[in-house]
Amino acid sequence: MKTSTIFRYILLAVFNAGVFYAIPLSIAFEAWFLLSLIILNAFLVNIVYLTDRFKPMKWILPGMIFMISFVVFPAIYNTYVSFTNWSTGHILNKTQAIKVLEDRTFTPEDQKDILFDLYVLQDQNLQFYFFADLDENNMFFGKAVTDEDIITASFATHEPSLKKNGELSIPDGFYLLSGKEQIANADALQDLSLVIDSKTRAKLFKISVFGASTGSLSSTSQLYTYDSTNDALINNSTNTICPAVDDNFECNGKEIDPGWRIYVGSENYENLFSNQRIRGPLNIVTKWTFQFAILTVIFSFFVGLLLSMILNKDNLKFQRIYRSLFILPYAIPAFVSVLVWKGLLNPDYGVINNWFAPIYEILEIEPIKWLKTKESARAAVLLVNTWLGFPYMFLITTGALQSIPKELIEAAKVDGASGIQSFWRITFPLLMVSISPLLIGSFAFNFNNFTLIFLLSGGGPPVIGSEVAVGWTDILISFTYKLAISGGRGNMFGLASTVTIVVFGIVLLISALSFRYTKRLERIYGNI
Amino acid sequence: MEISKFTNWFKEYGWRHLVGLMFVTFAIYPILFVLTNSFADFANLTNSKLIPNSLTLKHYKLLSGDPLVPYFQWLYNTYKVAFLAALFNVFLGTLAAFAFSRLQFRGRRAGLLTLVIVQMFPSFLAFVAIYLLFFQISDVAPFMGLGTHFGLILVYLGGSIGFNSWLIKGFMDTISPSLDEAAKVDGASEYQIFSKIIAPLSRPILVVIFVITFIGIYSDFILAAIFLKDKNLWTVAVGINTVFVDDFNADWGVIAASSVIAATPIAVLFIFFQKQITGGLTAGSVKG
Repeated sequence: MKTSTIFRYILLAVFNAGVFYAIPLSIAFEAWFLLSLIILNAFLVNIVYLTDRFKPMKWILPGMIFMISFVVFPAIYNTYVSFTNWSTGHILNKTQAIKVLEDRTFTPEDQKDILFDLYVLQDQNLQFYFFADLDENNMFFGKAVTDEDIITASFATHEPSLKKNGELSIPDGFYLLSGKEQIANADALQDLSLVIDSKTRAKLFKISVFGASTGSLSSTSQLYTYDSTNDALINNSTNTICPAVDDNFECNGKEIDPGWRIYVGSENYENLFSNQRIRGPLNIVTKWTFQFAILTVIFSFFVGLLLSMILNKDNLKFQRIYRSLFILPYAIPAFVSVLVWKGLLNPDYGVINNWFAPIYEILEIEPIKWLKTKESARAAVLLVNTWLGFPYMFLITTGALQSIPKELIEAAKVDGASGIQSFWRITFPLLMVSISPLLIGSFAFNFNNFTLIFLLSGGGPPVIGSEVAVGWTDILISFTYKLAISGGRGNMFGLASTVTIVVFGIVLLISALSFRYTKRLERIYGNI
Repeated sequence: MEISKFTNWFKEYGWRHLVGLMFVTFAIYPILFVLTNSFADFANLTNSKLIPNSLTLKHYKLLSGDPLVPYFQWLYNTYKVAFLAALFNVFLGTLAAFAFSRLQFRGRRAGLLTLVIVQMFPSFLAFVAIYLLFFQISDVAPFMGLGTHFGLILVYLGGSIGFNSWLIKGFMDTISPSLDEAAKVDGASEYQIFSKIIAPLSRPILVVIFVITFIGIYSDFILAAIFLKDKNLWTVAVGINTVFVDDFNADWGVIAASSVIAATPIAVLFIFFQKQITGGLTAGSVKG
């Protein structure tokens, strides 16, 4: 066998070992989507590298796996999530939610008010021990443990011999803590409990400086028991039956948190278009997203074209210097320059308001609160994005202008066309042939220009009175981000995915249009 | 005579310089402002000037000394993630490009088209699903789950490998097939043709793709912000945002210094490769 073959089998073995490690774990965590992704990838890898039937795939598959796993699969998953109620309070699946609920405990009514003497002791290793004196038949002594160790801790033992004539006789090797010493250790003591039996624990309730401190009982009785035949939860404290209704258990009409994920069909989509609380913000955001993307392209294209027309002149000096200076805004990572602009725009300290100060005085108006009001925030976003975008437009229009044959313009001149006429009739249409796909590309890019919006204005200022987190400069993608991750109102994954599906649709439409539009342009101008 | 000569010059060239200078000011003022301020000896943003009275390195020193702002750790993280992701991106993209350019197989055109169409959608669009998917991966394999550089690199790999292999394939097509045919006659294997002929000859485009991908990942904000929660694992794009938010006025010097350090290498790289980057993008967009 060749070394390369041996090497291939070793790699395959390692890969498959990973797969066999991950599959049972995915099942245990009920991560079905991940499981299907793993199985698909494992299938592809083994069929391609174990057989010789798909030779070209041996070259393509390594890269393709990443595309399948982190682009195509998420897109499908995203679609699935948009048909669920996945959100804060409905993150878990039903089995997990029941498990969380069944782990809840309560203190039965008859144990609530029982108070008793509790002594805190320490052994030579400075471990804490409790002696709980409930009554003459229940005098428990044992190590006090934290909640984490409670499962492994042994039960306290009944030790009536430690109490003689109403006094505690300290066992050998132990030290009885005074009230003051207990106060000094209060933080640690608060977390400790003495395990009396599988359901009952004794805890320190109140430290007393004189005499014994007070202890109380806390129970580990299970609050809810799941009844699978009736699909209901039984509340052991109040003895009520809480049936499962859609995605929550309900006790007397009150939902119990957490609920679980369910398939909700087109509910998110219907909400998007008919629920006024969501439709209102979505309308604002969608409209602004289009305005923002279109105006950005227009402004930066206008500035870029103007500059390239002005500077594209034979024998003009310093052309190279201009060109290299105009590239600078494009060369700097956007996350840096956007933040710098945020500093310049700062209404209180920023340079821009310093410049405008004389104008404010002449016009006798208040300084503009940049980024704090709807209009100023939108203007600022457009200003900064024009700054970011015009160098690219300058570069591509310069390139396109230089590729237009000079004879054409001169021929037009000979035929008596004015400068303006020859620009609109010849230069501009020819320019658009090569530039329009780039303009559409620029539109698509700005349609999802999250970095600019998020770092400059954070989408703000907030739309007052809206029930979902949304601001006046939010575009669809930053709105989605707020819904899903950081809106301060929990994670609305289901709804957020629904919005991204809408964005997917719009991007698809733009791409389709651009294909058709540019092909048509080529057909018209292609023969010149 | 002199005056009319000047008016003529102005009509022909001068006004162009005037407009040009106006926009040069617009373009470089913020950059210059930050650059000089990062060295300026002043207290805060309010009394900052374009031309400082005296120069100092104190802001740069402050930047390295604050344990609450592990700026250089962020910088290291960013270079690490961007370098590894770009490297694997180019490596895997080259393998795929070779198959698309040199091997004949059914579904080649369809595969190529799928590659380009899939990559028309920015990968972060499905960020909700990516987040939830990696949430599950965190349970099964914590070392590559949410909050790890490993996981983030994987996502970046998926994000641009299709478009990159398409660009590389375009370049490989320009390498004369007679070269590999001659090698084939001499008994070279598929792998040898790739490693001895096609890959070395593709080096110019591979460098450009590496640089473009590196810059793209270095500048990414959204995926890094979703992925990385631990302050010490942040990339500079995520971290610098929190420095800026704290107090603009008082920390302006440090903010300026951090911006200069984050931006300079990328800007230099960009200007050095400017022709190829804009050319590559243009070519890609025109064809795409």
